[in-house]
Amino acid sequence: MEKKKPDLSNPEIPEGINASDEHPLKEFFWLLIGITVFAALVIGALSLSAGWLAQKIPFEYETQLADHFPDVESGDSSNEARIAERLQGIADRLSVEQNLPEGMHITVHYSDSDVVNAFATLGGNIVIFRGLIEALPSEDALAMVIAHEIAHIKHRHPIRALGRGVTIGISFAAIFGMSGSSAGDRVLGEIGLLTALSFSRTQERAADETALRALVNVYGHGNGAIELFDTFSELEQTRFSEPEVLRTHPQSLDRLAALNDQAEKKGWRMNGESLPMPQVLLEHK
Amino acid sequence: MEWMLQYFEIFFALCLLIVGYGFGRLAEKRHYKSIFKREKKYQELLVFSLKTPPEGLTVTDSRLVTGSVVVSIDYFKKFVAGLRMLVGGRLRSYETLVDRGRREAVLRMKEQALLLHADSVINVKVETSSISKGRRNSIGSIEVCAYGTALKHA
Repeated sequence: MEKKKPDLSNPEIPEGINASDEHPLKEFFWLLIGITVFAALVIGALSLSAGWLAQKIPFEYETQLADHFPDVESGDSSNEARIAERLQGIADRLSVEQNLPEGMHITVHYSDSDVVNAFATLGGNIVIFRGLIEALPSEDALAMVIAHEIAHIKHRHPIRALGRGVTIGISFAAIFGMSGSSAGDRVLGEIGLLTALSFSRTQERAADETALRALVNVYGHGNGAIELFDTFSELEQTRFSEPEVLRTHPQSLDRLAALNDQAEKKGWRMNGESLPMPQVLLEHK
Repeated sequence: MEWMLQYFEIFFALCLLIVGYGFGRLAEKRHYKSIFKREKKYQELLVFSLKTPPEGLTVTDSRLVTGSVVVSIDYFKKFVAGLRMLVGGRLRSYETLVDRGRREAVLRMKEQALLLHADSVINVKVETSSISKGRRNSIGSIEVCAYGTALKHA
């Protein structure tokens, strides 16, 4: 008996079922935009609340965070110690006028470096660089800088910046650390770093205002502020790259204009004779 | 100059993305073209997932045939997949990859069967395994293996 050969075939199967025809860039851009917007909103909200919470941290805890600053011994008679002592003296007079909260005190450090900069950091520490002192024309102008940095500390800006920075860092690590994409890690981690540690323009303006009040109260007039911002605006024009202190700051002349307005409203005198830069501050060697 | 260094990592990642996208897209297009062509060419050789020969078929010879292929994703696909893993959903960039791997493996198995002058392949199975299993940041490669029993009809 002969077997009948079965009728077998493999018909063609239509395309586009297992893999879609959609352009890959479409998915890429939708995901990128959607996730970026969402992450920006969430991280923005988190960092705002972290900044707000950070200023509630008692100042004494902040001091513990910053105890890596070396203490200059009072008996030290080196030039650096004398300069730091003189700067501390200026800062002390300005601090009194700023009505610092109880338990908050300012420590000024001097750094032998050409950088035209000064900054306020955690624990009430202020660092003034030699380059800045040499660039300024008078004690009043230097006092304005110091008063400005004290004001940052009074308004708790350093700890708020730290709170924001840490929150942003942790958020990025949480979101992109588990995404499994090394590219995402790298690109967005980098952006997180760039935006983290700086004071906002609003904070700079607030510090300027508080500083001017203290300057006028101590020196009798606000000429130091005029000299300071004139010096900065000259530096802005003559230097190829602007001094570091200005990088996150609003344009110097705008800041000066805002301070002039404030002085007019409060009836403060802006013009007057500035004290010369104390000789001891210029004698580094 | 300084800002260039600062953004170097971003710039570098962007370059990798563009390279990954360009080459990945080109390779995928070419591969699909070749898959369509060969699928038509080998249409005559029948493949089934049946365990035993179809009833009524007289078999004179049988042999195990395999086809295996290893494919890797490109940087762009990996990046998109990384984003996709945050929100979930259809991972389209991997689907084409697995689809291509599976069809290529079946085609290679068929090529082996054709060398043996087979008339059909039964009991065809397709298996995939990840080569870079469990390790983060390693190459995302998969192996697809297709195997079956090649038959010679009377």
